[in-house]
Parts: sequence; structure tokens; C-alpha cells
Amino acid sequence: MKRDLSKLELPIAAAIAVILVVVLPLLNVSGLVSNFTINLWGKYLCYGLLAISVDILWGYTGLLSLGQALFFSLGGYMLGMNLMLMIGKDGQYFKSGNNPNLLPDFMVFLGHTFLPSFWKPFYSFPFAVLAVVLIPGLLALIFGFFAFRSRIKGVYFSILTQALTYAAYIFLLQNDVTMGGNNGFTDFKRIIGYDLREPGTQRGLYIASAVLLVLVYFFCRWLTRTKFGLVQRAVRDSETRVLFSGYAAASYKLFIFVVASSIAALGGALYVPQVGIINPSELATDKSLEAVVWCAVGGRGTIVGPIIGAISVNALKSWATTAFPDYWLIILGVLFILIVLFMPKGIVGLPAQLRSVWHWMKNKMAKAADDLPKEAPAPEATANTKP
Amino acid sequence: MPKIKPAAGSLAFFILALVLVLCPTVGRADDAKVRATVAKAIVTEDAEEQIKLIRSLTDVGGKQVGQLLQQWKEGGIFIYTNKGVKTPVTLAGDKDADGKQAAFLLADGSPLKDAEGKPMRVDSTDVDSADTDSNIRQAIKDVTDMAQLADPDPVQRLHAVQGVGLDQSLEKLPALEARLKVEADGAVKRALQEAIALTQLKSENVQDQIVACKKLGDLGSIPSQDALKGIMADAKAAGKNDLASAAQEALEAIASHLRWVNSIGTLFRGLSLGSILLVVAIGLAITFGLMGVINMAHGELIAVGAYTTYVVQGLFATGIVMQIPTFISTPITVRLSGMNLSGHALDSYFLLALPLSFIMAALVGVALERCIIRFLYRRPLESLLATWGVSLVLQQMFRLTFGANNVQVYSPGYLSGNWTIFDIILGWNRVFVIAFAVAIIFGTHLLLTKTPLGLLIRAVMQNRNMAACMGVRTQRVNMLTFAFGSGLAGLAGAFLSQIGNVGPSLGQSYIVDCFMTVVVGGVGNLIGTVISAIGIGVTDQSFQQFLGNPVVGKILVLVGIILFLQWRPAGIFVTKSRSLEG
Repeated sequence: MKRDLSKLELPIAAAIAVILVVVLPLLNVSGLVSNFTINLWGKYLCYGLLAISVDILWGYTGLLSLGQALFFSLGGYMLGMNLMLMIGKDGQYFKSGNNPNLLPDFMVFLGHTFLPSFWKPFYSFPFAVLAVVLIPGLLALIFGFFAFRSRIKGVYFSILTQALTYAAYIFLLQNDVTMGGNNGFTDFKRIIGYDLREPGTQRGLYIASAVLLVLVYFFCRWLTRTKFGLVQRAVRDSETRVLFSGYAAASYKLFIFVVASSIAALGGALYVPQVGIINPSELATDKSLEAVVWCAVGGRGTIVGPIIGAISVNALKSWATTAFPDYWLIILGVLFILIVLFMPKGIVGLPAQLRSVWHWMKNKMAKAADDLPKEAPAPEATANTKP
Repeated sequence: MPKIKPAAGSLAFFILALVLVLCPTVGRADDAKVRATVAKAIVTEDAEEQIKLIRSLTDVGGKQVGQLLQQWKEGGIFIYTNKGVKTPVTLAGDKDADGKQAAFLLADGSPLKDAEGKPMRVDSTDVDSADTDSNIRQAIKDVTDMAQLADPDPVQRLHAVQGVGLDQSLEKLPALEARLKVEADGAVKRALQEAIALTQLKSENVQDQIVACKKLGDLGSIPSQDALKGIMADAKAAGKNDLASAAQEALEAIASHLRWVNSIGTLFRGLSLGSILLVVAIGLAITFGLMGVINMAHGELIAVGAYTTYVVQGLFATGIVMQIPTFISTPITVRLSGMNLSGHALDSYFLLALPLSFIMAALVGVALERCIIRFLYRRPLESLLATWGVSLVLQQMFRLTFGANNVQVYSPGYLSGNWTIFDIILGWNRVFVIAFAVAIIFGTHLLLTKTPLGLLIRAVMQNRNMAACMGVRTQRVNMLTFAFGSGLAGLAGAFLSQIGNVGPSLGQSYIVDCFMTVVVGGVGNLIGTVISAIGIGVTDQSFQQFLGNPVVGKILVLVGIILFLQWRPAGIFVTKSRSLEG
């Protein structure tokens, strides 16, 4: 039964990939799917990338990182810097004649007259894309090096990543780091010359997100099935044994941490032009935890799980925030408690869970049918049948 | 016991009543004299005699003098002339239909009576304003200044002396010197010396100025810095090198005094911040450190305590309104009317709020443990996720019940105000938080080491299975331990309501700090938590002091913690264990 399902996984995944990458955009072009829906799904797919990055750390390596939103937002910030510079002559301050050097508006507002030197390379789009992967990756490398070297694991790792995120959050909130402060970056006009308000541009961004998600899906599927993936799961199950077998567990963890951070950063970079804003609230403590929720809801330890989780929780959020604005957080919280308590394998694990319940019920009924002729079944016997 | 209590209560009440009755009569004797003198001065025709009378009040002192003379100066005293006899009166009360007001004799405060002995009402045409000329006003000003210098309340006196000192007017020098001779209060004496030296800086005599500079330097007088800088610049311009170097020396002495004051102040603020961290983290040190439950709802348990304090305060004051969410229909609005207390009775709410916030948070903790956490003892990472769900639910419940905005919690009088020693300002609430932290740590320590429950707690936390084998009811101990940890969070909330805002996201702002403190201290160790809380607090405040930027300081502390864990991955104190995975 299980084997059948895993054989089916690849064709199903391929079919879904085709639907996401080809069919939906075509329907959008023909007008059957609204621009709003495409934009919304583009967002969901970026969240899917974030959820995968949580999952390959948590589900496969046992590292619950509460800092993935940091890498996601950092990726967004890197691309956002390019988008800010591309506003150019459409900025409010330039129009009113106060911005001859074409600075981003928020800098003019803060009284800067020259572009800080670290902003200058971001005029180039390829550089910005490179920075999207490199800067978060570098941060992950440095932090991971220190964290894994001293064998910080389990809860400690979670709390430290949370602290790192918090530090970055209050750092970016400051105005003098010239990253937009509290308001962040917004009011983008164009990306590589395309107008961001055009439906075509948004469609392009959606396709890019879908393609990236599909690529990341197959990459992670491949990675977790290699020998590397095996060691990765061995680290999750018993790091000490891996160490005793002569593997440098720290290097494995460091590699996967950097990979996961880059995936999150790419997701963030695609997310920002689609929602049109990036600010420090994107890396507040609860954003990372929310990504962990998606992962848990969908089913960790699988690659599809997080994507399903990200899409379903966010679809629920979109619906509930308008239908029950006051109770949305309560719904999310209760849902989360219930899933942790009763569905440890998430939505993906639900069929197996139902099957085992079904088998248990069937056994019990069979037993009951067997026991029926006998008089007064022994209480121990029924108690023992409960697994 | 019940019999003694009312007796003791009534005795205390009797004493209080006696004091209340006696106090004003003591003051009144002086007051009458002052009133009589002022009244006499107003009606005296001879200007010299008038000024003499006013000046005679200089030695009397007290608030009354200042008030009456000020009233005179501002035209608040009138003269009622009847058959050539002038009587100074004050007008008070509401004007009636004819524009008339009740009049009172200035001399003794009794109502002004007509020939038949009935109280009279007058309007502005019946009376003349008691005029003053510039000489009188000058005399009044001098006397009121001096009266303030002689104010019986040392705090008022201190303020007056500091004010006179900053005026730097040489005319007041004799008065200050005269006051210095009789002054008994240490702080005021010091302020007088400072004021005299400050005033002498204005002196024509260079030698006096140099002496004054030296004195100010010795006193470490912070307010005189600007004046000294001015003097130094002037002296340099005028080529008075002696004076310039004296001022320079004084400034250096003051600067070093200031550094000392600042570092002690930083240490104190660091200690109090550390105590706050300790108070908020101690509950977590129990639930996370001892039990291994990662309770992300810890912050919300703190908020439960803070909101309990808010409700108790509301009941003591004017009442509160709550919107209890019902999830199906419109929320139920609950209006609780308050007892409309004020003064000390209102202040006492905090004493009731402390135990109540402990109990409320402990109850929420019990519910949390029974319904959720007990299923997750073997899955610590998942307890993190489930309790985060709880924290979302609780936050939203606060928002729905008490509104999304911060609520205002009134601080009792005994927690506001501050205490200045050698220019170091110690806020009462900061002093209180340190004492509170010490008390909580001490209580927790006693509970864990000296009571049977503490023994069971430690046994279960060390080895749950072994304790169960020995007949300990581990489920019950788990519940009680968690309730205790939650209750401590509630106490922290009651305290935080006194020093910051109470809002739905109160808990969120402390949760990262809480975990940091416990992790750095070393899990399962109270002493470690104490050291780490104070260490983090003092480091944070020192960074703030030296960098002048709180955010950079905070970031450096977080980075410092990450680096510290490189050196000691399991915190300051490591719980020794033979278990490989432990």
C-alpha cells in the first residue's frame, strides 16, 4: 500500500507542477483566473519555499530553526534595495524637486544627500540577485559555524536562532542603518524595467515563484534521497551515533543550514515584488513560528507536506481574517494545538493515521464479533487490544 | 487572634486621629502671628515702618508667609474702610446675584461683620485693593525667598536653596550665609554651600571667585558646570590665568564626580534591569529549566498577572469594563463597579493584586498543564509549538476582553518617587524590584530545598521514572510545579504593570529575554539564572551608557550571549549527568 503511494508521488507531483507553472497562468491570460488570485497564489508559493526551508532543517535534520523568517526577509531586503533604486524619477521627492541625486525617498526624508556606498552595487539587478543568495547564506554560514561547532542543539538552537532574528529585527528597525527603518521598503515601481502594476509582470513573478518552487521541490527530493540525506536523517535520530561512526555531523548540519537559508532567501526575494513591501515586521518572532506551523500542519519530514501546509494555512488565513477578523488568531492557535496533539504527522500523515484507526476499529469489531458468542469477555483482553 | 486585631486596629486609629487633630493646632499659633503681622503691615501708613514689618517676617519662615505676601503682591488682598478704620480682608466664595462675595478678616480668618455682628458680603466697589509699591514688592520678594529658605520641610527648603543658587544674585548671599549657620539638615547644608559658591562666582573679587571654584570642585557640583565654563571662558579672555586654571580644575573634579555618579547609576540600573529579567525569568527557570517544558505562553502568563492587577486596581478605583468574547454572538459586556477609593486605601490594592495575580496565573498554568503539556513531556520541541498556539489564543483573548490598546495601571504612591543619594537618583520602583526579586528568589529557594514538596519536585525533575517507581505521584508533582512556575510569571506580571505598559503583547516583549536568561544561566539551576539575569542586566546598561545607543547595546548583548554559549554551551552552571544525550 505504502509502496504504491510513493510510486504515485512523482507523477502526481509532476502533474501539480504542470498545473502551477503552465495551466494557472494560461487561465489567467484567458481571464478565467483573476489577477488577484494569481497574485495571492504567488504569495502562497513563496511561503511554500519558506516552509520547505524550515522542513529540511526541522523535519530532516532535527534542527528547529526559529530564524527562517530572518533569511526570508533578508532575501527580500536585498532585492528590495534594487527595487528601491529602480524607482528613480518616479519618487515623490524627485517630483517635488528635492531629490536631485535620485535617492530612495526614505533617505531624503531622513536628510541624506548621498547614497551610502554599500547601496551602490545594488543598481545592478544581477548583483542584487547574487546578494539575495550570498548575504543570507553568509549569515547562515557564520552563525551556523559557531552554533554547530559548540554542538548547540535541540531547544538551545531554537532559542539562539530566535535571538539572532530578534537582534536583526531591532537592528533593521533603526533609521541610521539606512534600510528603511520601521517602514521598510515600499512603493516599488518596476523590476528589470517591467512595470510592477502590469498584470503581465505579476504573472511573470508568479511563474518564477512556481518554477522555483518546483525546482526546489525536486532538488530537496533528490538531496534527501542521497547518502547525504541519509546522514542528515541519522543526525536527526541520534547525533551521538553519527559522531561515533566518524561523520562530522557539524559540517552536515552547517551545509543544510546554509542551503535552507538560501532557499528561504530566494522565496523572500520573489515575495517582495509581489506584495510590494518589506519591513522589519516580516522578521518578528512570530513570523518564523508561523512558518513552523505551516510545516507542522502539512506534515514534516516530507517535501510536499510543508508546501501543502503553507498553502492551506494561508488560504485559511485569507478566508478567516475577512470572515472572523476577531477570532482568526484563536482559530490558528487552537488548530495548531490540536495538530500538535493529535496529528503529529500533519495533513500528509492523515491517510496513514486514518488507516491505522480504521484497522484498529476493524480489529476491534472483529474481536467483538468473535467475543460475542462467549459470555462476559475478560476486561484485560479488551484492554490489551488497544495498541 | 481575632480578638486582638480589632483592638489593635482601633488603637492605631485613635493614635492616627490624635496626630491629625494635634498637627494643625501646632502650626496655627505661628500662622496667627504671621497673619496679624501682614494685616498690620498692610494698614500701616509709614512706608519705612511697613517694610520693617514685612522684613520682620524673614525669621518666622513657613509656607503661610510666602502665600500671604504673594497674595498681597498680586492684589488678592483688599482694604475695607469703615468710619476711617481700615481692615484688610480677603474675598472668597462664589459671587451672588449682586456680584458680592463673602469677606474674611485677614488678621484671623473670621468673617467680616457689620455693626450688628452679621457676616457681610461685599463687592469690588466696597473695598480697595491693598496697593504695593516697588520697595514693598522688593521686600516681599526677599522675604518670600528667605521664607522658602526657612521652609520647615527639608525637601522644599532644598528646592528653594537650589533655585536661589542658580539665580547667582549676590544680594542673596548674606541670607544664604545666615541660613547656613543655622541649617541642620545635611543635604540642605550641602546645597547651601553649593549655592553660596555658585553665587560667589559672580563676585567682583577674583580671589573669592577662585575660592568658589575650588569649593564647587570639592562639592562635585553638577549644576554649576555651565557657570564654571562661562567663568573659564571669560577669565581666559580677560587674561586671569589663576581663575581660569581654578575653573578648569573644578570642572575636571566635577567631571570625575559625574563619571562616578554615572557608573554607580549604571550599576544600579543594571541591577534593577537584571532584577526585572530575574523576576520574569524565574518562572521559566522552573518550567523550562527544571521541567524541560518550552513554554512559549510564559509571556502570556505574565500578562495574566498584569491584567489581574489591572482588574483589582479597577475594582478599588472607579470600576472596569470587560468584553467577554462568546465566539458565536456578540460579546457580553461586563461592567464591574468599583469601590471609588482614593489615597492610601486605593494604594493598598497592590497588596491584594500580588497574591491574586499569582493565583490567577497558577490556575491558567494548571489548565495548560492538564490539557496540553502533560501529553508532551517526551516531545520538548512540540511543547514549544503547542504552547505557542496557546500564546496566540491568550493574546487574542486579552485583546478581545480588554481592548487592543494598552490599559493604564495606577502606581501606588509608595512605588513612585525617588531617592537621591550623592546625586545618584534611585527610583523607588527600581529599588522595589530589586527587593522583590530577592524575596522571590529566596522564597523559591526555600520552597525547593526546605519543604517536602520541594524534595518531590527535585526528585521528579531529576528522574521522572525513578521517582514514579519510588511511589511519587509524578502527575501531581508535575502539575504543582508547573502551577508554581506559572504563578511566579503572574507575580512578575503584577510587577511589570508598575513599571511599563500593560497590553495584549506585553508577554511577547519579554519572551526572548526570558529564554536567554535561563539558557545562559544553565538549565535547571536557580543560581545560574540569578547570575545570568544580573550579568545581562548590568552588561546591557553599561553598553547603553558607553555607546549612548540602547539598540546597539541590546544587539551586542545578544551577540555576546551567542559567543558566550560557544564557550559554555550549557550555560554558566552545567547539570552534571552521565547520560550521553543529556
